[in-house]
Amino acid sequence: MDARTFARASEEYAARLYTVAHRLLGNRADAEDAVQRALLKAFEARESYAPRWALSTWLYRVLTNVCIDELRRRRRVPPEPLPPGRAGTQVDRVDLTGALATVPREARVLLALHYVNGLSYRELAAIRGISVNTVKSQLARGKAILKKALEE
Amino acid sequence: MDRIDGMLEEFFAPEAPRALASRVLRAFRAERVGLERLVGKFRIEASERGVVRLHPGRGFHGPSAQARAHAERAGRELHEYFAGHRTFFTVPVDLAGVGEFQARVLAEASRIPFGEVDSYAALARRVGHPRAARAVGNALGANPVPVIVPCHRIIRGDGTWGHYAFGGEMKTQLLRLERSTPAIIGCTSTRIVCRRGCAHEQRVREVNRVVFASVEDAASVGYRPCRVCRPSSAA
Repeated sequence: MDARTFARASEEYAARLYTVAHRLLGNRADAEDAVQRALLKAFEARESYAPRWALSTWLYRVLTNVCIDELRRRRRVPPEPLPPGRAGTQVDRVDLTGALATVPREARVLLALHYVNGLSYRELAAIRGISVNTVKSQLARGKAILKKALEE
Repeated sequence: MDRIDGMLEEFFAPEAPRALASRVLRAFRAERVGLERLVGKFRIEASERGVVRLHPGRGFHGPSAQARAHAERAGRELHEYFAGHRTFFTVPVDLAGVGEFQARVLAEASRIPFGEVDSYAALARRVGHPRAARAVGNALGANPVPVIVPCHRIIRGDGTWGHYAFGGEMKTQLLRLERSTPAIIGCTSTRIVCRRGCAHEQRVREVNRVVFASVEDAASVGYRPCRVCRPSSAA
């Protein structure tokens, strides 16, 4: 991957990466910072990029690594409320925001990747370094927790 | 479940600020200045029990071969730390030469985990002298082994840096380095999580690296903590 390919990839993926980061980190500044750091890291580690990966999968892996490390640092700080999504007609966004905060971190990351970008189970498994079955069970568990929180 | 699917899709609808990509690329071109230039600019003195002093200069010094081995090990670990490949030090520190109060302050400062900060007042409370924030500041200011004993992780209560023996610029760089270095790394092929800097972690290939926010998170998707660096006991 040379600098030009990289610039093109950044332009193509920046918006999608940003959405994932925004949903995970909860504010624009941190999300933009995360995208920048992720792209920088991806570029620095370009030697180890294996073509058997889709470039997007690789970028998402680097981005989630950056975001999750940011979340680690926040664990002692009370969690910030997630940003409200685009309000649907019957979606009570405050409820969904609060409910998502109750979902464990790993499951929340998978939910964000799955719903923002429609990534497949296989891609999610590659991004988080877990098996496809773990992806499925984590997503199901995350959704079950969400459902329960919304019903309360 | 279908209703939840729909809600999540709406909630996660993509949105991004304008001109994000060009901003990112511009920041990317403005290359950051690294701490690498600090490598090899320390004079490290050690006794047989561990590192005694670290100050500007060069070389590894000690009265015996064992002491010099400690100093050289400290040099290697500092190198890795500045390159963002290490988040903790394993080399022993010998604080026999400092006073009892200062030793307690330094020991307490060493407990602040990588990437986090605390205030002088909080540290004073933890050593049992809640009104001695200034004395704590002096004790840290005279830290004989900076960086290894992380006195840079203590900042003033109002969020400003306070004094640093090597200058505020270096304190900023150290804290920035710690902010952008992930601390808990999992290997996707062995399913083991390590602290960054563990001998096993350093052998993990880039494509196999995943970052976790905590050991519990890693355990929830089937990773076990490394038995060498023991990330669960790390704060």
